[in-house]
Amino acid sequence: MPKVLVIGAISEGDLTGTSLEAVTAALELAEAMGAEVFGGLIGDECGRAAATFATAGLAEVFVADHARHAPYVAEFHVAAAQAIVRRCQPDVILAPSTGETSEWVPILSARLKAAMASACTRVGFEGGHLVAKRPVCGGAVQGEYVLNGALRIATLAPATYEATMLSEPCPISPVELPDVQARVKVIEQLNDQEGSGPRLRTARTVVSGGLGIGSRENWSLIEDAAAALGAAVGATRAVVELGWVPHAQQVGFSGQKIRPELYLAIGISGAVHHMAGLAGAKTIVAINKDPEASIFRTAHFGVVGDAKEVVPAFVTRVKELRAQQA
Amino acid sequence: MHIVVTIKQVVDPNTPSVLLKIGKDGVSLELPVGMSQIMNGYDANAVEAALALKDKHGGTVTVLSVGDETSKNCLRRAIGMGADRGVHIAGPTGLACDSAVIAKLLGAAVRKLGFVDLVLCGRQASDTDAAQVPFLLAGELDLPVISPVKNIQGMDDDSAIVDRIGEGCTQRLQVKLPALLGISNEINKPRPAPLKGVMLAKKAEIPTWTHSDLGIEAPQPAMTLRRLYIEPPVETCAELIAAESARAAGRALADRLRQEGLI
Ligand SMILES: Cc1cc2nc3c(=O)[nH]c(=O)nc-3n(C[C@H](O)[C@H](O)[C@H](O)COP(=O)(O)OP(=O)(O)OC[C@H]3O[C@@H](n4cnc5c(N)ncnc54)[C@H](O)[C@@H]3O)c2cc1C
Ligand SMILES: Nc1ncnc2c1ncn2[C@@H]1O[C@H](COP(=O)(O)O)[C@@H](O)[C@H]1O
Repeated sequence: MPKVLVIGAISEGDLTGTSLEAVTAALELAEAMGAEVFGGLIGDECGRAAATFATAGLAEVFVADHARHAPYVAEFHVAAAQAIVRRCQPDVILAPSTGETSEWVPILSARLKAAMASACTRVGFEGGHLVAKRPVCGGAVQGEYVLNGALRIATLAPATYEATMLSEPCPISPVELPDVQARVKVIEQLNDQEGSGPRLRTARTVVSGGLGIGSRENWSLIEDAAAALGAAVGATRAVVELGWVPHAQQVGFSGQKIRPELYLAIGISGAVHHMAGLAGAKTIVAINKDPEASIFRTAHFGVVGDAKEVVPAFVTRVKELRAQQA
Repeated sequence: MHIVVTIKQVVDPNTPSVLLKIGKDGVSLELPVGMSQIMNGYDANAVEAALALKDKHGGTVTVLSVGDETSKNCLRRAIGMGADRGVHIAGPTGLACDSAVIAKLLGAAVRKLGFVDLVLCGRQASDTDAAQVPFLLAGELDLPVISPVKNIQGMDDDSAIVDRIGEGCTQRLQVKLPALLGISNEINKPRPAPLKGVMLAKKAEIPTWTHSDLGIEAPQPAMTLRRLYIEPPVETCAELIAAESARAAGRALADRLRQEGLI
C-alpha cells in the first residue's frame, strides 16, 4: 500500500495547528491514492507534540527526538528526516511551510532526488500523478504543477486546509539517529523583539503602516492607534526597508501571515505581496489619500484622506468610545 | 577569493496585477507591452553583498544566469555594478524554470569555473516564488547552505558568520567555506551602476555555455508546469466613510467600527 508521510512542526513544545492542516491534506490525498498516512516529528523533547500528533488519525508516528534539534540547524533536521524516511518508506512527504521547513525540506529533496513543490495551497492525485497548486508571482498568478518521480514532496501554505479532528492514539516509534557532522554551527539565537503590545501573529486587531506615513517621526501615529485599540503593530516591507520598524513586524508574503479580526492599513497601497499576508484577515479598513489605491478594492471600510489628519481624530474618538464603555 | 552570484531575469514584480496576462501556451506570462524584464530583486542584493565582500577582502565576482539571450541584460547590469565577468547559460526562462534543471546547469557551470569560495543566490525568484534553486545547487556542489541571510557579519579564509532570519528569531551562524548563501533584501541596498561601469558592461564579452559545453546531458525537469491561471480577485466594494473634513471622517470611522462591534 502506498504511504503518505506528514512531517509535523513544533512550536514551544506543542504540535502546530499547521501540522494538523497538513494531516487533512494527507488524508484527502491518501484516499485518492489508496494510501496510509504516517507521521514524523523532529525536535528536542517532543513528547507533548508527539502525543498530540498520535491522535491525528495516523497509522504510526516516527519520532526523532534529540538535543541537537534545538536550536534548529538544517543539517541535523535533514539527517533526522532521512532516518524517518528510511523507516517509513513513503511515496509522498507533506510538511507545513515554516521558516524552518522552507530551508531543510528542499535540502532533503536534493538528497533524496525527489521532486518538490513549496508552499502549496492544494495537493491532489490525478491519474497516477501528484498535482500541486501553488501561488506564483507573489500570489498574482496560480500555477498547477505535476510532480514527477517515485518520491514526491510538498510543503503546504498555512490556513488552506482545516485542521484534522483528533481521535484514538496510534503507536509512537522512536527513530535511531545517525552521527552526523553539521557544517553550520549556531553561535547565538536572538528572539525577535515585538515590543510590549500583543503579538502580531495572534492579535485580534492589527494596525499597520506603510510609506504613506511619511517619516519615522510620524510612525507614532501607528503606535498611538495600536495602543488605543489594544492592537499589534505591523508594517509593509517598504517601511521595514527604511528601518522604521524591525523585520519581525513585516506583514506579507515575505513577512508574517496573520489572521486578525480587524486589520487597519494606513498609508498602504495594497500591493499583492503585502495582501498575501492578509488572506486570513476578517475585516480590512484602509486609510489612504489616493482613492485609486488598490487597497480599497479588498478593504471593507475606507477613508480617503491624509493619515496625518484622519488618524489622530480616529484615535481620539476611539479613546472616547472606550472611556464611555468603561 | 572567488564569489559566484546567480541571477535570474524576471517579470517586474511591481507590474500591476491587471497587466499580467497568461500566454497562449497557458504556461508562461505575456510581458506587458513596453516592459522589459529585470534582475530578480533578491539577486541584486546578492550581487551587492558579493561586491561589498570584494571591496573588503579583494577577489573576483562571477555572475551566472540561465535563460535566453535577453538574460544577458541582467548580467550586464551586474557587471556595471562591479562584477568581474558574466556567463550566460542557455536554458529555460521565467516560470518554465524547473528548479532541478536550473540547479544542474548552474552546478555544472560553477564546476567549470573551477574553485569557488562562496556562492550567493537570491533567497527566491519573484516569479516562481519557489525558493529551491539555492538548496538544489548546494546539493549539486555538496556545499553547506544557509537561507534566508540578512547579514554577513564576518568572514575569514575558512568560515563565514551570518545572520539568518529564523522562525520568530535571528540565528547567528558560523559556516565552513566554501558555502552557499540565499540572500534576503534586509542585507543591503544595491548600488546603482556608475556611468563608467555601464560603459564597461556594454562592451563586456558574455559567453554562452550550453549543456554540452558544460559536459552534461540536457537535465530533465522534476516538475512539469501544467497550467497557469489568474483567479478573479475578491472585490469587496469598500464602504467609504465620507465627512466634511478628514478629521470628521476619522471620528466617523471610529463610530462606524464601534457600530459593527469591531472595536
Ligand atoms: C519578492 C517580494 C516580496 C515582497 N514581500 C513583501 C511583504 O512581505 N510585505 C510587504 O508589505 N511588501 C512586500 N513586498 C513589497 C511590495 O511589493 C510593495 O512594494 C510594498 O508592500 C509597498 O509598501 P507601501 O504600501 O508601504 O508603499 P507604497 O506602495 O509606496 O504605498 C504608499 C501608499 O501610501 C499612500 N499615501 C501617501 N501619502 C499618504 C498620506 N499622507 N496619507 C494617507 N496615505 C498616503 C499612497 O497613496 C500609497 O497608496 C515584496 C516585494 C517582492 C518583490
Ligand atoms: N534561471 C536562473 N538563472 C540563474 N539563477 C537562478 C535562475 N533561477 C533561479 N536562480 C537563482 O536561485 C534563486 C532562487 O530561485 P527559485 O528557486 O526559483 O525561487 C534566485 O534568486 C536566483 O539567485
